[in-house]
Amino acid sequence: MELKRIRILPDDVVSQIAAGEVVERPASVIKELVENALDAGATDISIEVEGAGKRLIAVADNGQGIAPDELELAITRHATSKLSSAQDLFSIHTLGFRGEALASMASVSRLTITSRRPEELTGAYVRVEGGQVREIERYGGPAGTEVRVEDLFYNVPARLKFLKKDTTERQQMIALVTRYAMAYPETRFKLIMEGTRALQTSGRGDRREVLAQLYGVDVAKQMLEVQLVDGERRVQGFISPVALTRSNRKEITLFVNGRWVQDAALVTAVLRAYHTLIMVGRYPLVVLFVDLPPQEVDVNVHPAKAEVRFRDPDQVFSMVQRAVKRALLAYSPVPQVTRSFWPASSAYQGWSEPAWEMPGETRQEELAPEDGFDGDAVDIEGGDVPEGEVSATAQPGLDGASPLLRLVGQVGAAYLVAEGPDGLYLIDQHAAHERVLFERLMRQRDSGVPSQQLLHAETVQLTPHQSALLESQLNLLGKLGFQIEAFGPNTYLVRAVPAILADRDPAAAVRAVVEDFEEDETPLQGELEARIAARVCKRSAVKAGQILSTAEQQNLLRELEQCQSPRTCPHGRPTMIHLSVDLLERQFGRRGSR
Amino acid sequence: MKASVSQQSLAHGLSMVSRAVSPRSTLPVLANVLIATDEGRLRLSATNLELGISCWIPAQIEEEGAITVPARTFSDYVNTLSGERVQLTANMQTQSLNVRSAASTSDIKGIDANEYPPMPAPDLANGVTFKAGELKEMIQQVAFAASTDEARPVLQGVMVSLRDGELTLAATDGFRISVRRAPLAASLAKPLEMIVPARALTELARIAADPEAEIRLHIPSGRGQAIFRLKDAELVTQLIEGNFPDYRAIIPRALKTHTILTTAALLAACKQAEIIAREGNNVIRVDVRGRGQEPGVVEISAQSEETGNSEVQLDANIDGPDLTIAFNVRYLREVLDVIKTPSVALETIAHNAPAVVRPVGDENFVHVIMPMHLG
Repeated sequence: MELKRIRILPDDVVSQIAAGEVVERPASVIKELVENALDAGATDISIEVEGAGKRLIAVADNGQGIAPDELELAITRHATSKLSSAQDLFSIHTLGFRGEALASMASVSRLTITSRRPEELTGAYVRVEGGQVREIERYGGPAGTEVRVEDLFYNVPARLKFLKKDTTERQQMIALVTRYAMAYPETRFKLIMEGTRALQTSGRGDRREVLAQLYGVDVAKQMLEVQLVDGERRVQGFISPVALTRSNRKEITLFVNGRWVQDAALVTAVLRAYHTLIMVGRYPLVVLFVDLPPQEVDVNVHPAKAEVRFRDPDQVFSMVQRAVKRALLAYSPVPQVTRSFWPASSAYQGWSEPAWEMPGETRQEELAPEDGFDGDAVDIEGGDVPEGEVSATAQPGLDGASPLLRLVGQVGAAYLVAEGPDGLYLIDQHAAHERVLFERLMRQRDSGVPSQQLLHAETVQLTPHQSALLESQLNLLGKLGFQIEAFGPNTYLVRAVPAILADRDPAAAVRAVVEDFEEDETPLQGELEARIAARVCKRSAVKAGQILSTAEQQNLLRELEQCQSPRTCPHGRPTMIHLSVDLLERQFGRRGSR
Repeated sequence: MKASVSQQSLAHGLSMVSRAVSPRSTLPVLANVLIATDEGRLRLSATNLELGISCWIPAQIEEEGAITVPARTFSDYVNTLSGERVQLTANMQTQSLNVRSAASTSDIKGIDANEYPPMPAPDLANGVTFKAGELKEMIQQVAFAASTDEARPVLQGVMVSLRDGELTLAATDGFRISVRRAPLAASLAKPLEMIVPARALTELARIAADPEAEIRLHIPSGRGQAIFRLKDAELVTQLIEGNFPDYRAIIPRALKTHTILTTAALLAACKQAEIIAREGNNVIRVDVRGRGQEPGVVEISAQSEETGNSEVQLDANIDGPDLTIAFNVRYLREVLDVIKTPSVALETIAHNAPAVVRPVGDENFVHVIMPMHLG
């Protein structure tokens, strides 16, 4: 056996180890290169990606360029023009400073840099492979720098193996470039992904324009502007009104001093401002830019600089919360409630009240008197019913057919009350309808789902990320009766919807289904179709808070009776709660107490 | 306020305005009906802030004044009165209304009339006049095609356009569109386009009982509303803001197969098929088969896994290539319901292209339905 001796690692191994920290995936290459371009004062950055970043990532800018004699230096480790002394570390004005990015990339790819300073006639061209300079020559091209990273990780097969699916990597790159485009609206960004344009901004300094590309015009129009200036500290950006939410936090983007950061505390500050205004489990869309004096932020925490440390975290936290809250209050209540066409005379201003009341809450009050119910009379929670005895129907042997039900009425615009042979049933109208639609859709799937064509195709604008998701599921959606076509970048035409979705806004239906994809991006392949069907049904089912006519209620019960597994919704929640005759009798003291 | 009115006209007036009462409003006064003396007559008004209806009934007024009382209570009570005259007396101290008729008397608690939203007064000199009967028919032929989806307010409305000496009503829910035109008696200085909630027009059609009467439309400037004035009644509606789809572009031109059917027979066939189809997705298939010189055959069939299947064959006059096309039977039935001519034309291009339904002999009405696609 060979004796293992301690020795200093060769240079190329050292650089590959270090590269692992900075260059983790294709998106990090783009991040470093875009930051370099921005530091170089570029006003036009174009990015080209091929093979999901594994074949080529090229970033070209019109910045100040690199002098020919410094070019070779630029690719050595810890070489940078952005920092000269340790003192500078505490007041960093540039995005980069570690002098590692180019060296790291050079060690794990075939890298070429072409650069010319605007004031010089010729520039230079350098080609590096696995950290070794192969070629260097004079070059006269356009001013600025172009860095081409080819065959990323060609010499680090382990890293290559750990990359996610191509679509995921592409989404990350698109998300990254869009965020930077928003942070630097004065810079023109162009992203060419596999030969097609995924993003292009005008560089006119209008953040809303970029916002429109990110979220679509409709959403961008609704976004509220945040603007808070406190001396040298500033919070600006856009937040969604309370009526516009997403089911995950992915759309909360925070920039600190021009850097995209992931900071759990700041996200909490934002959510705190929305607290009680939006439903639990929903999250706002937020793009915030926090600017602080450089000496108050320590960016030298994380190799990829995704994390920062604040000198005074509480102050930043409260400033962000205050800024968001103030913008929310300034724009709420949403004016729609007061759809009065009568001039707002003094007497009517009182009810410009919150529009974000949950439908379930208000309707409940409104409905109760009309139905002759005293709201309290049906308050089961408040009563003494022991929890264990309200069977949520997952009982064995009950999983078969639903009992025959006689409708009694609707409660709280959310539940149906029905009498069965063995007592009282409370039925969640949304869950029940979901089940009915789901079984119908799955039954039809074999013979072909009938779809209703639209009179004129609806356009749906999605974020680049969402359109990648939609793109990957188009086939399955087609089988379920959607007819969707690509129509320009990130825009789709909806030409037909499944017949069960007719009567509803087709664009909203598609958007909702896509939003659900986002929640869970990697469903199990085998049951993918059922999952999508379940999602479609979830969106088209009647909601809690929707008042149903007696005929509709009866119809729902009858259809539920015919379902194969009527007792749960496609997502596994119970559709009905059973209060047995026995339980009722005991509760009313008609039979020996417990 | 003190006034005496006939029980019949009071009950009738209340039934007219009560459709605009919003029983579930957060503003209690909106559940009330406003009763006010107005130039020798009694005005009854109700509004839900989107739609407001007023009507005037003859009255003997002894004392001017106004009050609001709960619409439901008041109209239910008035409906039971047996006396011919009803004496209404408002007590301003207690804000209650004393209702006296024959041997019965009651005091109904109300709310101060000053809390009631003010009703806009139309400028009647400035407006357009329609014939009630015709407008009513137009509304019936169009309004049903509007969407009921609150997420798309524009489609909940009817596009009313007055231009080139013509009045056009159009409504669509994204799957079908109904367009009806009529010549205007007087031409307008400048064309006018507005989106009126379908519900408001349906109410207008309901209160316009006399087909010979006139309806005058006035749009007060800058308020986003329209006022329809009838002889003894008035309807105010909020207009819907937004862009209505360009319906002129949607109506197809190059139609290939022209099929003429008897309206009543087709309607009956659709009703039959709907019974079977409603358990599925309301899908029916329409097979159009020409037979040269002989009359062609249109077969309407429905099939549902739960219910079963059905077929009807109808004689038809067919010009053009054979075709099988699927529709949502409800769409077809609803348009046939409002077609008055004995014959109807079904004009098609292909199984996946819009189909046109129009009355034979009436160029003013056209309805387009998008077909369904079977998997």
